[in-house]
Amino acid sequence: MQILLRSANIVLPLAYLLVAVAYGFVFFAAEARAQRAAAPALRAVILLHLAYLLGLAAHWRQFPAATESQALSLVAFAVAVVYAFVEWHGRERSTGFWLVALVFFFQLLASVLARPETPDRAIFHDPIFAVHVSLALLGYAAFAVAAAYAFLFLQLYRDLKAGRFSTFYGRLPPLAVLERMMLVALIAGFVSLTGAVVTGAFWAQRLYPSDWLHDPKILATVITWAIYGLALVLRRLRRWQGRQTALASLAGLATILFSLVAVNLFFSGFHAFL
Amino acid sequence: MADAPDPAAANGPSAPGGPSRTAAGGPSLLLLGIDFHTVPIELRERVALGQEEAEKTLVHLLARSAIAEAMLLSTCNRTEVLLQPRDEEEAYRAALQLVFLARAPEIERPGLLYVKRDHGAARHLLGVACGLESMVLGEPEILGQVKQAAALAEAVGAAGPVLRQLQRSALVAGRRARQETAIAAGAVSLGYAVIELARNIFRDLDDCRVLLIGAGEISRAVARNLAERGARQLTVANRSPERARQFQELFPTAAALPFAERLAAIRDADMVIASTGADEPVLTRRQLAEAMGARPSRALLVVDLGVPRNVDPEAGRIENVFLHSLDSLDHLIQRNLKRRKEEMPRVHEILDQEVAHFYGWYRGMQAEPLIASLQKQAERIRRQELAEALHHFPAASHAHLDRLTRSLVRKILHHPSNRLRGRGGPEHLPRLDLVRELFRLDDADGSAAAAAAGEIAAASADESPEATAYPEDRAGSAAAEPNAKPEAE
Repeated sequence: MQILLRSANIVLPLAYLLVAVAYGFVFFAAEARAQRAAAPALRAVILLHLAYLLGLAAHWRQFPAATESQALSLVAFAVAVVYAFVEWHGRERSTGFWLVALVFFFQLLASVLARPETPDRAIFHDPIFAVHVSLALLGYAAFAVAAAYAFLFLQLYRDLKAGRFSTFYGRLPPLAVLERMMLVALIAGFVSLTGAVVTGAFWAQRLYPSDWLHDPKILATVITWAIYGLALVLRRLRRWQGRQTALASLAGLATILFSLVAVNLFFSGFHAFL
Repeated sequence: MADAPDPAAANGPSAPGGPSRTAAGGPSLLLLGIDFHTVPIELRERVALGQEEAEKTLVHLLARSAIAEAMLLSTCNRTEVLLQPRDEEEAYRAALQLVFLARAPEIERPGLLYVKRDHGAARHLLGVACGLESMVLGEPEILGQVKQAAALAEAVGAAGPVLRQLQRSALVAGRRARQETAIAAGAVSLGYAVIELARNIFRDLDDCRVLLIGAGEISRAVARNLAERGARQLTVANRSPERARQFQELFPTAAALPFAERLAAIRDADMVIASTGADEPVLTRRQLAEAMGARPSRALLVVDLGVPRNVDPEAGRIENVFLHSLDSLDHLIQRNLKRRKEEMPRVHEILDQEVAHFYGWYRGMQAEPLIASLQKQAERIRRQELAEALHHFPAASHAHLDRLTRSLVRKILHHPSNRLRGRGGPEHLPRLDLVRELFRLDDADGSAAAAAAGEIAAASADESPEATAYPEDRAGSAAAEPNAKPEAE
């Protein structure tokens, strides 16, 4: 089993790299064969990745996020799943290169940081914790995907406004499609993060009944949740156009990064497990 | 007087009765043509052939004993005749007279007509199909026109095996160039530039509501392009109801509005095309801002085709309004043309491959009679040896031995046959006469097989004539005639 898990550390980044190359051919050369092959190949690699994560969980008998490597692999998996969903929903493959390249980067990092031993920690045996972390990762991955689409949307928007026609022009799907894909990712992220907040509150109330609300990471997460919620409501009410929603999506990602990096570095709280 | 072949320079015509081939091992081809590079439109119009005329001309060409196969391509930008001659000099004279001089005697003037031969002619046709020779580089219509020319030659019976295969190669090259390279990518005309912009904003042109302010010629041309690409919901707003009515005659599904109602119509539109002769803007920033405020948060593409401008340039600052003028459309067209030019080396690679494929096919065709002889000889030896050996074996094993020896012969001859057909690299084809000598194939069997293999077989038995040199083919003639197109080779 351990040999299989170790070999996955080589196979998975390699497989994501190949899929990213296929998507690169779609984006840069509009290659018809790559267009046909890229999406099924990505789905196959996602299944392989799922098998790897299940293998990790079975082998160590705990939720596979107990090390940096496992957590990063989980992030890569979540981004890949969200992208595959958004691609399927939007029936648009020309943007895959950017997202799958991101997945490859996370998985490569995970493989580089992989260690033969994993610490056995009680918290990773708790099923509610597993659901909470899974939903949070899925939510953050969806917001990352939404931010990627927001970035591409803003690029094309600027090109079309200024009549400048940069490298992106002509290679991206239409603005309407980019906006739709961004919104789908935002909604998926918001639903997942809502689930993560609810399960987290339930779990924290059980373990830390008095002081969990004062945790800076929880505060940052609630702010993130509120930003995305507001953006979706304003878009729904048609007060906001695509450009404002895209900017809010990028602002939301900045808040997430702040909550993940800055809060961990400068504040202390119970909300740190690695 | 120009374009007449120089008989003194010819090293002898091909053998009469069959199509000729060149010293390089390819079929003899002769192409005569005029195009927009060499001839002004007035002359091109006179030379251009309609379907019926082209049909008649092909019949007349084929009636000449010097011409084995013929094909005529006539468009607004070029008229070309491609021949597989039996006698190049005679074929040249016939085509020159029938296709060109009969309609425009001025074509005799130096530098107007170009002549290409053999490899140059084959490559030229493929280049034409790829859009490399078109006025607008990579334009797609030419591929359909080559297809039509091929169909006409086929219908008249003017296409034989050589031109048929060459046409096939041309169509394959044309399709590959468009699929594998960006030679046809991006809009290079005003109408299509508008469509390209729309396609970068909206998911589907079918669902786009288009408001055309002005019903003049430009407006109609853009509307035609949009309708061709699926835009069905057209509305025209024009000062003169008469012009609007004329517009509706051309586009019966289009709605017409009084000019004053244009602002209300913007609330429902996805695209506004303004092309009026007004001196003042027909859409101000304030008007557009009000219209945008009254509609759901949707993008609006505004294309200003008026000179002076019909839309206040400041309107481009409004959120979700994408305002483009003639200048930005021209910028887009120039960018696309540059990208197409950058694709030319890749298209030339495709041309090289398809021309090589055509020549490989031709050499393979030449080898067919030889392969037939080889197989016949091997089969004769097999039967002979088997007959002598069979009585040593029990009768029950005879069928098995027969199968075994057949299989042996087939497997032994498989690779040589493939090599003779040119598969696996036509550049290393074995010399057919050497193979013939090695296997002693010049006996009665070989001759009979060769005779049965038809026209191409006969051609392969001919001595290779050296190329007939025409004045415009010779090195240096292009320098002497600055208007002449250089050989594609």
